[in-house]
Amino acid sequence: MTSASSVESSGNLSIRYALRSLGRSRRRTGLSVLGVGLGCAIALFATAFMRGGQTMRVQAISQSGYGHLRIAPAGWEQSRRDELRLQDSAAALEAARDLEGVAVVAAHVRVQGLLAFGTRVAGVQLLGVDPAAEPQLNRLVRTIDEGRYLQAGDEGAVVVGKALVERLDVELGDDLLLTLTRADGEMEYAMLRIVGIVSTGSRTIDETICHATLADVEKLTGLQGVAEVSVVFADPQQVAALSAELAQRVQGDEVLTWREVLPAMGGDEAADRAFSSFFIVVVAAVVILGVTSAQLTAMLERRREFAVLMALGLGERKLVGLVLFEAVFMGALGALLGLLLALPLVWHTATAGIDFSAAMGDDMTVMGVFFDPIIYADMGLWMLPYAFGLGLCATLLAALYPAWSATRLDPAAALSQRDA
Amino acid sequence: MDEMLVAAQDVKKVFRTGDIAVEALRGIDLEIGSGEFMAIVGPSGSGKTTLLNLIGALDVPTGGRIVLFGRDLGALSRSERAELRLRSLGFVFQAYNLVPVLTARENVEFVLELQGMDPKKRRARAEETLAELGLGELADRRPSQMSGGQQQRVAVARAVASRPGLVLADEPTANLDSDNAQALLQMMRRLRDEMGMTFVFSTHDPLVISYASRVVTLRDGEVLSDERKDTCG
Repeated sequence: MTSASSVESSGNLSIRYALRSLGRSRRRTGLSVLGVGLGCAIALFATAFMRGGQTMRVQAISQSGYGHLRIAPAGWEQSRRDELRLQDSAAALEAARDLEGVAVVAAHVRVQGLLAFGTRVAGVQLLGVDPAAEPQLNRLVRTIDEGRYLQAGDEGAVVVGKALVERLDVELGDDLLLTLTRADGEMEYAMLRIVGIVSTGSRTIDETICHATLADVEKLTGLQGVAEVSVVFADPQQVAALSAELAQRVQGDEVLTWREVLPAMGGDEAADRAFSSFFIVVVAAVVILGVTSAQLTAMLERRREFAVLMALGLGERKLVGLVLFEAVFMGALGALLGLLLALPLVWHTATAGIDFSAAMGDDMTVMGVFFDPIIYADMGLWMLPYAFGLGLCATLLAALYPAWSATRLDPAAALSQRDA
Repeated sequence: MDEMLVAAQDVKKVFRTGDIAVEALRGIDLEIGSGEFMAIVGPSGSGKTTLLNLIGALDVPTGGRIVLFGRDLGALSRSERAELRLRSLGFVFQAYNLVPVLTARENVEFVLELQGMDPKKRRARAEETLAELGLGELADRRPSQMSGGQQQRVAVARAVASRPGLVLADEPTANLDSDNAQALLQMMRRLRDEMGMTFVFSTHDPLVISYASRVVTLRDGEVLSDERKDTCG
C-alpha cells in the first residue's frame, strides 16, 4: 500500500462516488454545467447592468440638487407646498451636519414667480440656496457658461440657465424683474441682476435653473427659515440606516428619501428591479428545468444501482445527500463557468459602458435630473457570491425532484428487473 | 441449528398490476437458524426471489409475519429496515451489481462507510476481506476490468466485509461457469465455517444445491419440501 493511495482513500467515499458518477456521462454533465453557466452569465450581466444603472440613477438624482435624503417640513410629502418651513431650521442643519458619513448638507427655499425682461416673460421656480454649499450638492450649477455662481453676501443676484436666457433674450449683467406672491398674499417685485449663466447641455434643465441666495428669497417671500435640507452621503449604501438615525434627531420635521421626494423615479426604480428580477427568474427557471431533466434521466439510468445500494443499507437521507451533492458540484462548476463567461462582458460594459444617446436623444433629463446617456455596469466582488448562490440554488432546486424520486424507489421491484 | 435468525409465519405476497393480482407466496412457514447453508429452489415463478426479498427486508409481506433477528419486519419503517439491512444482512446478486465507478476495494468499503466505520479501519477491513477471498490483487480494479467470476467474488466480499449474521444470495452462480461457481461456493462455505455466517441462496443450479446443507423447494408460492442433508458438496 502506498502512502499516496492511503491518503486518497482516507477521503469521503460517498463524495468520490458522487464525483465519479458525474463523469459517467460527461456529455450530459458538460451540457448541464454549460446550461447553468450560461444562465449564471446572463443573470450576472443583467444584474451588473441593472445595478450599474441603479447606482448611476441615484448618483444623478443626488447630484441634481435632491440629495440622498431631504429634511422637509411635516406634511410636505402630501401637500408639496413651497411655503412650508422647517420647525427649527438651525437644528435640522446641525443634526444633518453632525451625522457620520455626511458629505454635503445644503438648505433650500422655493417660490414660484415670473421673470420679465422688456415684453418677454417666463414662469420660474426661484430656488433660494446657500451659495457655498449648493455647488457641492448640485453638479448642474458647476457648469457655468458665463459669469460666476452666487457668492456669500450677494444681494439681488441671480444665476439662470442658458435656455432661460435665450427665451428672455437677455445677457450677463442684465436686470430681470421678478414678480411673486408673498406669504401674506401681497404681490412683491424685485430686480435681480444676472451674475452667472449655467449651461448643462440639457435645454429642459437650463429652462428651469433660477437661483438666488437664501437671504434674498426669505426677504422677498416674507417667510423666515428653510424649506428643506438636502443631504448627500459619502456612501449611498448607508442611506437607509442613516435615514432612520437622522429621523430620530430631527424633531417635528420629516426625513424623506429621494424615492419619497421623487416618487415617480422611485416607481421607475421599482419597475426596473421587478423586470430584472422577473428576467432572472425566467432564466433560472429554464436552467432549473433543463438540469432537472438531465438529473432525472441520470437517476432513472442508475435506478438499479440505487436499488442495490439501498439493499446494502443506504438510507433515504444519504441517498438524497448523494444526489444533491452531485447537483451542488455541478452548480459550483456552472457558477465558475458563468463567471468566466460574464466577466469579460461585464468588464467591457463597466469600463466602456453602453451609450444610449442615439436611442434616447441628446436631452436625457427627467424631472430636473440629468442622466448620463452612457450606462456603466457594476462590476465587483458581489458577483462571486451572486454567481455561486444562483448556480447552487438553481441546481439544488433542480435536483430536489430527482432526489425525491430516488427515495421513492422500491428496491425489490428495481432489482427484480433482470439485466438483459 | 443454533440461534433462530428468521421466522416466517404464514407469509403471503400478492402483486397487483391494475385489476390483476398475482399470488407470489401463499402462506410460507419457515425458520432459518444461525450457521445454515440453505438453498431455496424451485421453477421460475415459484416465489424464490420474492421470499428472499421479504427475508432481506427489501419488501413487506401482504399477509403473515416475518421476524428477522428478533424484529418484526411489518412493524419497521423504511429507514428502520434499511438500518437493519445495513447492520445485519449481506446481499449477493445474480448480476454482481458492483458500483461501476468504484474499485473493488471501494465497493467493499462503501458498505463499511455507510456503517460509519473509521476510514483507516474500513480500508484495512476491505483489504483484509479481499485478501481472505484471494482478491488482493484486484483491489484497485474497477468492475469493467474484472471477469464475471472475479466480480461475483468481489460482490461476496462486499456482502461479508461487515460480518453480517445473514447473507442472502439471489442466483449467485447464474452467470458463472462451473469452475467459477464451484470456487465461489467453496469460498462462501468457508466463510460459513470460519465466521459462522448464515447463507441463504435462491437458485436453480444443481451445484449450489449440492453444496447446501438444507434445501427448501417452492412451487406456486408454497413450500413443497424442506430437506436437511447430513453431508453436502
